Amino acid sequence: MSKELLSQLGAALVEGNLTDVDLLRRTSVPPAIRILPEANVIKIGGQSFIDRGREAVFPLLEELVENLPRHQLIIGTGAGTRARHAYSVGIDLGMPTGVLSVLGTFVSMQNARMIHYLLAKHGIPFIEPAQFPQLPLYLAERRAVIFMGMPPYTFWQQNPPVGRIPPHRTDTGAYLISEVFGARSMIYIKDEKGLYTADPKKDKGAKFIPRITVSELKASNFRDMVVEPAVLDMMQNAVNRRSIRIINGLERGNLTKALHGEDVGTEITAD
Amino acid sequence: MDKQSIDVNSISPDKRHHVFSKLMRESLIDKDVMAATETPVVRMLPDVHVVKIGGRSLIDAGRKALYPVADSLSRILKKERLVLGVGGGTRSRHVFSIGLDLGLPTGVLAQLAMADALGNAHILGTLLAPYGVVAIPPEIFGHLLPLFIQSAPGVIFNGVPPYSIWEHPPAIGRIPPHRTDAGCFILAECFGCKSVTLVKDVDGLYTSDPRENPSASFIKEISATELKQRKLKTLPFDEVLMDILLTTRLVKQFQLVNGLKPELVEAAVNGEHVGTIVHA
Repeated sequence: MSKELLSQLGAALVEGNLTDVDLLRRTSVPPAIRILPEANVIKIGGQSFIDRGREAVFPLLEELVENLPRHQLIIGTGAGTRARHAYSVGIDLGMPTGVLSVLGTFVSMQNARMIHYLLAKHGIPFIEPAQFPQLPLYLAERRAVIFMGMPPYTFWQQNPPVGRIPPHRTDTGAYLISEVFGARSMIYIKDEKGLYTADPKKDKGAKFIPRITVSELKASNFRDMVVEPAVLDMMQNAVNRRSIRIINGLERGNLTKALHGEDVGTEITAD
Repeated sequence: MDKQSIDVNSISPDKRHHVFSKLMRESLIDKDVMAATETPVVRMLPDVHVVKIGGRSLIDAGRKALYPVADSLSRILKKERLVLGVGGGTRSRHVFSIGLDLGLPTGVLAQLAMADALGNAHILGTLLAPYGVVAIPPEIFGHLLPLFIQSAPGVIFNGVPPYSIWEHPPAIGRIPPHRTDAGCFILAECFGCKSVTLVKDVDGLYTSDPRENPSASFIKEISATELKQRKLKTLPFDEVLMDILLTTRLVKQFQLVNGLKPELVEAAVNGEHVGTIVHA
């Protein structure tokens, strides 16, 4: 390959070692573009939201549709209680993490399909990973798409340090979509106000935290957390999406406020 | 499902419709809950070896380097079953450089790099076709691997893990961290394979790059933890392999060997220590 065609960095990349820190630093120099800067990524919780059924889901979808004239939405779905069942049976039977990841993907896909049929009359499509090249068209034409939150790592899902549950699940998959597309926001819709010092469903003394940085959150070493810990690691390395918000979708109006950039729920920032 | 599950499904105190399981209502983030999920793992392909053939180091080097490696693989295939992964090599480096210049994010670079390794998988597949070994399309490779490996002595895939636009942003810079060495190792771990061999154009790991520093000393065996602590300036394999080894359950090491001495590939698959072994 002719060297004249390459920039200095290009030549270094072709000839150099991709583990060389000096070379890696230079790859941050070209300014990053934001692919879809107007789009908002929203993740609808599985266990926390979709498993509640009509009572929770219908009002949220109404609010979602009301926001379409003003906001583009990339809507990811969680997995929830059926994934827990599959993981539980799978772990008992000795399934490796990669197989559990496949099982989780299927549940997340079921939830995406259900949300899709509920929004179908508004012309909103469900896209599988292979259909992401059509995402910009659907956003421009219909203002929203639905995808399954689970990242498609399947057999290549990495082991967690403890236990066997896939560490990169639907919170992570949705977050990575917001980062790669340089989206305007990443909003997690759950059934609690946001982050607490402990699981508020189990500990009545748990205190609400409206705003926190990733390093503060990591230092606090809470036993439980409102988002997957992997999201926090990725936020620290992110180029585009340096904050996320967690809101209670059971309270009508919270999603609208979050989309308007108002302070609702918990905001976690990378710095 | 027992009677308890039916009760739980119909009446749930927290208004969520649960399916009864040990993880019901539990947070999958809770540290104690996670610890309870540590149980023995099954090995899907315990007799299969994973061998990664370097892209830039061997395939891009052309006939002189790759033909002898292909011969060596053909001899191994007479007695052992192989999953062969390949790297993307120079073309991946080039597409990274153009993509970076255009400001494209890490996930897009990861997606682009899949194509180069797939091209190399087809090159190796062409050379090994007389032995019934071909490149399998990535869309079906994982799910059908146990079937293919029963029907043929070996299969080839592009070593790239299917992270694509879901690739993790790296700590430094924008190059995708999970490249083909990582893709081959994670696959071997998931399927519980017998061994992982990375075949490149160096004898193994040195205290520094032997091409730049002739006094660099050879490291015959090292743990991932110690290797991390040493903070070597460059490594002859994907850096994430060290972290991956630290959480591994089934495959506890990999060996890096020099494919320019093709007999070493056979020796490594036979379990001989002929390059550098990095272990958990």
